[in-house]
Amino acid sequence: MIAGLAPVTRRRATLLIALLFATGALADWTVPAKLQEQASVLDQAQLDFLASGVALDFVPERQLEHVIATRDAEGLSAFVNDLMSLAEQMAYDAERDMGAAPLNLNSERFNSGSFTTPAPLRDFERDPGPFSVHRYLFPQSGVPTFGGAKLAIWPEDLVAGDVDVAIIGVPNNMSSGRRDAGNGPNAMRAMNTIATPDMQSLVKPFETLSVVDYGDFSVDIMSTEITVRRVADMVAETAGTGAIPMLVGGDTSMLYPGVKGVARQHGNGSFGLLHFSAHPDAERFGDHTISDRQALFVLLKEGIVAGSETIQVGLRGAAVDADTLRWLQSQGVRYHTMAEIEQRGIDTVLKRVQKEVDKGPDAFFVSVDVSVIGPAEMPAAGRIEANGLRLDEVRQTIRHVCAAKDIVGFEITDMAPMLDLSRISAVNANALLNACLSGIAVRKAGLEPDYVHPLALDHGQR
Amino acid sequence: MRRAGLHLAVVSMFLPALAWSEAPDTPEHVVGTERYPFDTVDPRVEEKPAIELPDSVAPKLELLTDDEIAFLESGAARPFTGPLDATVEALEKRTPNEVKAWINAMQYVVDANRYVDGRDEPAIAFDTDSPNFNAWRLQRPRSMDPKREDGPVPLGRYGRYGGPPTFGGHPLALTKQDLIAGEVDVAIVGAPLNMGSGWRDSGERATVDLRLLGWPMGGFDQYVQINSSEVLNIVDYGDVAVDNTSTERSMQHVRDIVREIAETGAVPMIVGGDHSLEYPNVAALADVYGKENVSVIHFDSHYDAWWGSSHLISHGYPVYRLINEGHVRAADYIQVGLRSRGPDQTGFKWMREQGMRYHNMAEVEHRGWAAVLDRVVSEASEDGRKLHISFDIDVLDPAFTPATGTPVPGGITMREAITIVRRLCAEANVVGFDLVELHPALDPTYKTTLNSAYIVQACLTGLALNREGKTAKHYLSPLSSEHAIDDYYGDQQFYLDATRIEEEEAEASGDDSGLEAEEESEPVTLPEE
Repeated sequence: MIAGLAPVTRRRATLLIALLFATGALADWTVPAKLQEQASVLDQAQLDFLASGVALDFVPERQLEHVIATRDAEGLSAFVNDLMSLAEQMAYDAERDMGAAPLNLNSERFNSGSFTTPAPLRDFERDPGPFSVHRYLFPQSGVPTFGGAKLAIWPEDLVAGDVDVAIIGVPNNMSSGRRDAGNGPNAMRAMNTIATPDMQSLVKPFETLSVVDYGDFSVDIMSTEITVRRVADMVAETAGTGAIPMLVGGDTSMLYPGVKGVARQHGNGSFGLLHFSAHPDAERFGDHTISDRQALFVLLKEGIVAGSETIQVGLRGAAVDADTLRWLQSQGVRYHTMAEIEQRGIDTVLKRVQKEVDKGPDAFFVSVDVSVIGPAEMPAAGRIEANGLRLDEVRQTIRHVCAAKDIVGFEITDMAPMLDLSRISAVNANALLNACLSGIAVRKAGLEPDYVHPLALDHGQR
Repeated sequence: MRRAGLHLAVVSMFLPALAWSEAPDTPEHVVGTERYPFDTVDPRVEEKPAIELPDSVAPKLELLTDDEIAFLESGAARPFTGPLDATVEALEKRTPNEVKAWINAMQYVVDANRYVDGRDEPAIAFDTDSPNFNAWRLQRPRSMDPKREDGPVPLGRYGRYGGPPTFGGHPLALTKQDLIAGEVDVAIVGAPLNMGSGWRDSGERATVDLRLLGWPMGGFDQYVQINSSEVLNIVDYGDVAVDNTSTERSMQHVRDIVREIAETGAVPMIVGGDHSLEYPNVAALADVYGKENVSVIHFDSHYDAWWGSSHLISHGYPVYRLINEGHVRAADYIQVGLRSRGPDQTGFKWMREQGMRYHNMAEVEHRGWAAVLDRVVSEASEDGRKLHISFDIDVLDPAFTPATGTPVPGGITMREAITIVRRLCAEANVVGFDLVELHPALDPTYKTTLNSAYIVQACLTGLALNREGKTAKHYLSPLSSEHAIDDYYGDQQFYLDATRIEEEEAEASGDDSGLEAEEESEPVTLPEE
């Protein structure tokens, strides 16, 4: 991980122009007047380079000025030459750099994992439809599935069972933070707490809805690029059956194929995106085509969701700088940083988020990177950031949104169970999944989004 | 055996622009969107035998085309239908329509699985438009910091202490000039590669925690009464940059840095990340010492010579890739501690044919550790050949190293490991060492990290012995290994004499730390049991 690498953005164009034409006309940085004399020892190319502002990609302005003020002529010249050399090495050179990682084209299993077993080769026969993995009518334990749900394996199982919600593991394990999110789905299966009734409406999501564990989608452990193709295909196929895909990551790069797959069924721009995360995932100039840090950027770039219909909640940490916020702003993204929460109060901000959702499109995709929750309740967040939201704040908002809107997809990502021996993180992640399931169930039951069952309050005696 | 040279000749017909074919001193690596320039067909994969179907099943085949029948009889259908008997049985269960659908499904799978030009991407493209494309491995110019002399930099306020943690508290070196100016003997470098399968959270946790708990790396050793930190110049060479989204992309840079260390004559000790690292580590040594001039001893519960997926490197492939590219002869590979489920007979048959010296835990079970130990050390010391030690901590039993990506029970003990690593580093001509697959998060105690540091220490001690000329078989200190009071074993006079000789030699050299003195001295060997 390149921790805290500042995105090189605004000076990018200048870099090229400066290197190609070495003209001072497009000055982006000016040597301060008091340092002009010291800087005069530099030759024209060096001065042009400084004027281009590119040096500030490698060294903070204050240090640059300090160097100019204090170095002798030889030292200053060597310093600027080193910076110019860095600028030359920074970008891709096809003669020097690997532009694509070659693959084994003779592999007999080159695409294994990219397609599923065709029906005539499945050696086990059963009628389509979700089935129980338990011996007992009221099982207490056994093979773990999400919330103890029935299992479905093939799309025809979803169709035959008229399935409303398919919960799917997507164990990609390529977080740019600490890894192990690949084990997230099984840790969440192991803590059997997804099916709990909604305490507000007393609706039981697993009774109101037909919910299945739809197994895991195949990932390529060595390549997120290959994984996203597979996962987008599978998500699209799942959404095509009419079931709502609920994806359990896996790292947050899976935000991209999750939303993309759903959009292939429902149409680009046909739904809004509510994204809970500490991280904006809006890295624009990455050297890879996809990663967790780039997931939202790629979705917006490809027009899969509109910036104006994207809401981000909980932003904080190293990736949130002025450049990034300015870009999100330019895209029309409604972002809510921890600074806003500190300034306005959590209740006000979450009400504002709910209003933005209510006024937004009819359909929403809800994505939760568990880093949005503070470490106290989510120590297993792969890209952990101190000072997050509380579990219940996020849970309430998710429940409301999932009850108020048509949910086309839900995703929870980057819970790395190894980082939390207590498994409380898995229990809390399950609570967020339960919140959306509860919301969907409330809507299905024809209740108002914020309906409260009379028995749920004031010992039912008011 | 496939040889890179041959391959280059063949492959270059298709690849006119092989940048390195004319410049032998520029190590080969893929640039741009070139394809992998070596053969990738796995010689171990054997075509399954074809079958000839009896006339009795002819009615079942009536809807099939000639091509479909040919496919069904070919070896390609065997993984689906099994041998002749099973195939006939399966045909008899099905109607002609079902048979056709069945065969078509198999053909679909075979075709879908293969790479097809134009349909599939031949490579994993990076975003070459990125203005930050090489940011991950750009090195900080020295001119950015205040001037300093070349050489290892002490970071502490009080000698070794009072600064940020380094491997063994050793001073920091960041450039080749530092290694040369400091006449560095051993450069310990972290490689936080996080892409091995199994549990993945190694990365910087491994290299950082090895610094936090790495104090055993260097200093005094009681067994042999030597202080490696005094005999050798040891440095912390920082971490090498890796791209944890692409192992393939990381390989070249790791190789560059390891080569840079080896070119100065220092022993590179690479610690941390996953076992893919064995590939660039050994390739770098071959760059410096010549192809086929370095032997490798591979401590691991896995043989890591897998091949044949769509990827060309992972923590399961380094051994095969090194052999395939001609950096190391298969016959110069020694494997110790193998015990994972695979490989099956195909893998072992191949290793035997290639002349690889494998020592799996079955041999240990059969012959006992002491016998295997001597055999391994003598193989590894043959002809004074240059040796790289690649130590995957999962060769140890999970009791000692629970925090590793793919632990396998039934491994060797720390006591066994310390001895064999110390002996190899003392008795063989070790030019490189790596310790890989440490995942500290899997172990809430300090145990795995500490044990890993002690493995590194065993090698440092061995290298110090080697430098001191104490390279005789299984040297131990005659003073610390026997109290010599009651002649319990009946040979205590030997220990007393040996101790006296060592003291006299040390005195004659005028240096009780033993520096530079031992060239002519007679190394002491303890009596065989």
